[in-house]
Amino acid sequence: METIKLTRARAHAGLAAMLLGSVAWSGGALAQNVSNTNPNAVTTSTTTTNAATTNAATTDAATTNAVTVNAAARGQNNNSGGASSRSGATDPGVRGGDPGAGGALPGLNDVERQYFDVAKEVFQEVDAGPDGLGPRFNLDSCSGCHSQPTIGGTSPATNPQVAVATLMGAKNVVPPFITANGPVREARFVRNRDGSPDGGVHSLFVITGRSDAAGCNIAQPNFAAELARNNVVFRIPTPVFGLGLVENVSDGTLEAALAANAQQKRALGISGRFNHNGNDGTIARFGWKAQNKSLLLFSGEAYNVEMGITNELFQNERDSDPACQFKVTPNDSTPLVSENTASPAASFQNDIDLFAAFMRFSAPPTPASATATPVAQAAPAGQTTGAATATTGAASGTTTTGAATATSTLMASASADASSVLPSAAGSAAAQSSSPASSGASLTRGGQVFSNVGCQACHTKTLTTEKSPLTGQSNVTIQPFSDFAVHEMGTGLADGVSQGSANGNEFRTAPLWGVGQRIFFLHDGRTKDLQEAIQQHASRGSEANTVINNYNLLSRDDKQSLLNYLRSL
Amino acid sequence: MRTWVYLGVAACLAGLGAVRYGAVPSSYDAAAWQSANPEDGKVADGVFVSDYFDLSYRLPEGWTEGLAGPGPTQSGYYVLGTWAPKRDFVGTVLVVAQDMFFAPESSEVKNVVAEFRQVMSAVDGMTIDSEPAQVSVGGRPGYRVDFSGVGLFRSMIAIEIRCHVLTFNLTSRDPEFLASLVRSLDNLASVRKKTSDPVPECLAGYATSENVVHRVEPDDVGAKAVSIPVRMIVATDGSVKHVHVIRASAAQRRNIEEALRQWKFKSYVKLGRPVEVETGMTFNFKPANM
Repeated sequence: METIKLTRARAHAGLAAMLLGSVAWSGGALAQNVSNTNPNAVTTSTTTTNAATTNAATTDAATTNAVTVNAAARGQNNNSGGASSRSGATDPGVRGGDPGAGGALPGLNDVERQYFDVAKEVFQEVDAGPDGLGPRFNLDSCSGCHSQPTIGGTSPATNPQVAVATLMGAKNVVPPFITANGPVREARFVRNRDGSPDGGVHSLFVITGRSDAAGCNIAQPNFAAELARNNVVFRIPTPVFGLGLVENVSDGTLEAALAANAQQKRALGISGRFNHNGNDGTIARFGWKAQNKSLLLFSGEAYNVEMGITNELFQNERDSDPACQFKVTPNDSTPLVSENTASPAASFQNDIDLFAAFMRFSAPPTPASATATPVAQAAPAGQTTGAATATTGAASGTTTTGAATATSTLMASASADASSVLPSAAGSAAAQSSSPASSGASLTRGGQVFSNVGCQACHTKTLTTEKSPLTGQSNVTIQPFSDFAVHEMGTGLADGVSQGSANGNEFRTAPLWGVGQRIFFLHDGRTKDLQEAIQQHASRGSEANTVINNYNLLSRDDKQSLLNYLRSL
Repeated sequence: MRTWVYLGVAACLAGLGAVRYGAVPSSYDAAAWQSANPEDGKVADGVFVSDYFDLSYRLPEGWTEGLAGPGPTQSGYYVLGTWAPKRDFVGTVLVVAQDMFFAPESSEVKNVVAEFRQVMSAVDGMTIDSEPAQVSVGGRPGYRVDFSGVGLFRSMIAIEIRCHVLTFNLTSRDPEFLASLVRSLDNLASVRKKTSDPVPECLAGYATSENVVHRVEPDDVGAKAVSIPVRMIVATDGSVKHVHVIRASAAQRRNIEEALRQWKFKSYVKLGRPVEVETGMTFNFKPANM
């Protein structure tokens, strides 16, 4: 097992062995101190969630969009600045500075923080054959996908899937939609060969050939054939920062927020609805289509789907070839003896509980002050500036860190009175031409543009949590910039995959907190250009068409202000 | 039972709009009007025509249809059309409709505009340029509010037709052009050839046990919990002559239509004569395990 340093000793043997008191270890595991067992912790690790609450993916025949499939496959690294060129405004690029995320929620007590620390370490574990990796998988760790701008984020600039394809002797062929500088992606097939709906994830890689998988001889899916028939759609990782706060927003609050500006939405062609869980009827809110009801469910599903590690929510191997099983199932199970971590509570938690805890306890992103934000000015008429849009290095555009001080409002508004600026955003002439006065003013104006053109009709700025068992997290105002509803996004974005009540055209409003430090945009990561991502909101059948029309009616300066504002988040 | 009475398109129009602008398409007939649905409107030869709403509107010179909007929602909300210039992108018009039977909140035209004004006034950087005021749009009574922000000038004009609130949302970066767009709405005309064509009474909550004398439940429509809004026109003899399942799967739509065709209502009598009724209802389905 390739492993990072852990404070938690993990039992990799099966449940039977543990019950016998014979704890087996995978290579490199640390010593276990059974005497630290906390009997009270057993109850905290009991998992009762019903895996059936996952909204299964099916394919919406009417909405399948082969053109989108092709476009996504072709445009995976599109950062041509085309939209920028047309409008004169320029995506300032990924901002640097402290994301404010990646650590624990401010206000947690010591016990909670220790629990988070252990959970974060487990989130970064790299799994291998003895841990149950595969037989089919997309990557071998959570943090490999969720790493930009820091642990818990989204797809990094360098795609780790390329390296994992041949790690430990594996002979996987890297599919053409996976590139070194492209986004981390999972692939879904829209339809089965017989034409019936599929919609599920088809893992990119197999463990065949790996030194820890002797005897396994399964093959990768035939992506070339599926691509040839326009049957492959993609998703990139969603950031998981601050999701415990989102989990703690009541359904009533979400419904009130959706209804609060209903008349404005109607005047923009927007409606939106929630993806209600099919079992208890409450609002599901996680994932690109709001298909996952809870963070625990999100964790369990991803562990099995992305890494091939079965768990107490998703017990069964997705490929049950007996020659490819190297650990009892479920691969991840609740330890019944302490694993001796820095957190007594975490000692009895299985991995998916800790993944969920990492998300639940993690701080949301904080917007940068203008001092840390790459603020570009609109290019003069006729001038196209592609420099800033090509900026993908997180730190390249800034020289200062603008860590916001956490308050009861966990995410402060982008500073309206910011007074200084910015620096050389990777050679962007536009950025260099910014002045201190224009930067602060630009962000203020950008916030107004965001609201005036109608972005905020769906990208709802603020929500308030309800009472929380976590210290200091009750009744907190957060700024996720999402209504967590699903909206019809038109043929241009449609993936033809239906999940729960979300159809093949519908997607959840992507939360924009932290968008300033994301590299890839939209569900399939088809562009790095923020302005292109905005334009992609418009297509036949999209609820966003009028908002994009409004955007296109703006002056170049106002477009630029909006882009600057978004990159400050 | 809350009742909205159809405003009487015949009385409102009196054919004036059609005479002034000559925008009436020749293909219209009463049968088409009675079987049309709100989302069926389209632009042909530069004229938007909606048989259901009995509307025609000649687009400004050089304008065309923009990208189509989403389909009808479960709350009876429709994007009827988006119109924009072919070249110089100076403004847009978005026309939407909200079915008053299924609106989650007050849907009186006056209240809709007042509430909209309140929401917009709370938007950072938005200015209300002209408070809501009663206006006449192509001969139809309505309300209008003007507002602006970040260099965009906008008017929202709302009218009521067949128990739907139609709003025309006009946007331009040029206030004078916006004014010309607003004036162009006087192009709104009727598409009906004869004002004597029957117009159903628009009645909310008419499909109750008080009025339904024979009811057949639709077959089960699947495993998911769904609420399906339906409009129907009840003939003078009490039979259901037109069904519009607003948003549903194909199977749900088929099952509901088959069931409703078998329903029988009491005849609705007005001023001593049976008249047709247009009403709406929601079918709520829950899977067996809920």
